[in-house]
Amino acid sequence: MNSFKEKFIQNFIEEDRWMYLVNGLKTTLIITVLAVLIGIALGFVIAVIRTTHDKTGKLKFLNLIAKVYLAVVRGTPVVVQLLIIWFVVFAYPTASLLVAAVITFGLNSAAYVAEIFRSGIMSIDNGQFEAGRSLGFNYIQTMIYIVFPQAFKNVLPALSNEVVVLLKETSVAGYIGVQDLTRGGDIIRSRTYEAFLPLLAVAIIYFTIVTVLTWLISKLERRLRNSDH
Amino acid sequence: MTTNKETLIQVTDLQKSFKNLDVLKGITTDINKGDVVVVIGPSGSGKSTFLRTLNLLEVPTSGTIMFEGVNITDKHVDINIHRQKMGMVFQQFNLFPHMTILKNMTIAPIKLLKKSKEEAEAKAMELLKRVGLEDRAEAYPSQLSGGQKQRIAIVRALCMEPDVMLFDEPTSALDPEMVGEVLQVMRDLAKDGMTMVIVTHEMGFAREVANRVMFIDEGVIMEEASPEDFFNNPKSDRLKDFLSKVL
Ligand SMILES: Nc1ncnc2c1ncn2[C@@H]1O[C@H](COP(=O)(O)OP(=O)(O)OP(=O)(O)O)[C@@H](O)[C@H]1O
Ligand SMILES: [Mg+2]
Repeated sequence: MNSFKEKFIQNFIEEDRWMYLVNGLKTTLIITVLAVLIGIALGFVIAVIRTTHDKTGKLKFLNLIAKVYLAVVRGTPVVVQLLIIWFVVFAYPTASLLVAAVITFGLNSAAYVAEIFRSGIMSIDNGQFEAGRSLGFNYIQTMIYIVFPQAFKNVLPALSNEVVVLLKETSVAGYIGVQDLTRGGDIIRSRTYEAFLPLLAVAIIYFTIVTVLTWLISKLERRLRNSDH
Repeated sequence: MTTNKETLIQVTDLQKSFKNLDVLKGITTDINKGDVVVVIGPSGSGKSTFLRTLNLLEVPTSGTIMFEGVNITDKHVDINIHRQKMGMVFQQFNLFPHMTILKNMTIAPIKLLKKSKEEAEAKAMELLKRVGLEDRAEAYPSQLSGGQKQRIAIVRALCMEPDVMLFDEPTSALDPEMVGEVLQVMRDLAKDGMTMVIVTHEMGFAREVANRVMFIDEGVIMEEASPEDFFNNPKSDRLKDFLSKVL
């Protein structure tokens, strides 16, 4: 027991090592939140391009670009994408690691969010679309007033799940030297030559956030189901 | 055809193919103001396709449709403007499930006709009263019976103050005991002088309300007549055969 106390002090209290975890968590959360925003915005645009093409046959060229984009992003590991963004696309030492990470995870998430939105839009019965058009709404108005609100409600669970996945995926940001939560624990390990406690602490923090998020999502889902009209 | 009648929709040699399936093979007819045209025919004969080309939900392969003097099959015409004047009622109701009944009825007049919320709601409430559903204004579609949904779908279309109403088998998805209430709304509408084109299997309704009955078979209008002639003196063998099966 004594040795646990010593080890705890050595790993977290001495030289304020706990700050590696706090600052790392901050970085992890910043990357996740910004990447989610990029992912949702870009993913939405891609989904609209893809579904508009499927429904109307228009936007052929944009649809082709979108399809290639989805295939490439979903067909390669996110770590490789991260390395390419940092060492090939950014490729100069003054660039911000954090920005590189945000962009990578944002662009990566967009591909998955796009497919979530797309399946949501396609899940809305075509009769809804036709009813909108028959009232005189144009394509865009029909989408905005009638299709998107229903589609969005349908995909909220999948979308929330993507946030959880993304949060965990950002743990590879350390590959290019971003000091996120995982890297924070790893730095402590390299200082104290003690692996168990710092990594356990990191795992507990991820687990806690994921558990809270999951709980919030299921609450939201229940609320949505109750207001299911 | 008498000349004192104003032509509302003029259909000329309308053809529609899906890939290599020719569904409409040249349909020519006039829909006059105040007409109640009932369209009947075997399953798959192209009745729905014909109705849906009238407001361009299906784009014709060839032929023209003049609506109120405008060739709406012309690519340069803004079809959305003209659709506002053509109400449509679907077999599956297609109410918007995420909106209340009142919102279902007012969203188009507010967004498209630029009516004020008060004005649109007043009109909607008046129509709801006419179909006996004014107490359901704040309900959601999932809380209504099929017959109620279809009556709402009809008045939702009426909120746009259309010049013609298109019905595609409006009672086919209903439990038998709810058919009557929907037909009653349509009967009242006809009495008020609304121009209507109705695809239906309700022969009694056709006999009673229509002024013209049209038999579509194999993509053409095989026969057309007043209800009396249509049901009592069918001319073509196809129609005789069809009527012997459904009557
Ligand atoms: N979007 C489409 N794509 C391909 N084929 C279609 C499409 N819509 C209709 N068809 C075909 O066109 C033919 C006519 O269909 P339509 O729905 O107009 O018939 P209908 O007379 O309304 O039949 P029902 O009484 O069963 O409703 C059918 O063979 C149908 O399968
Ligand atoms: Mg049909």
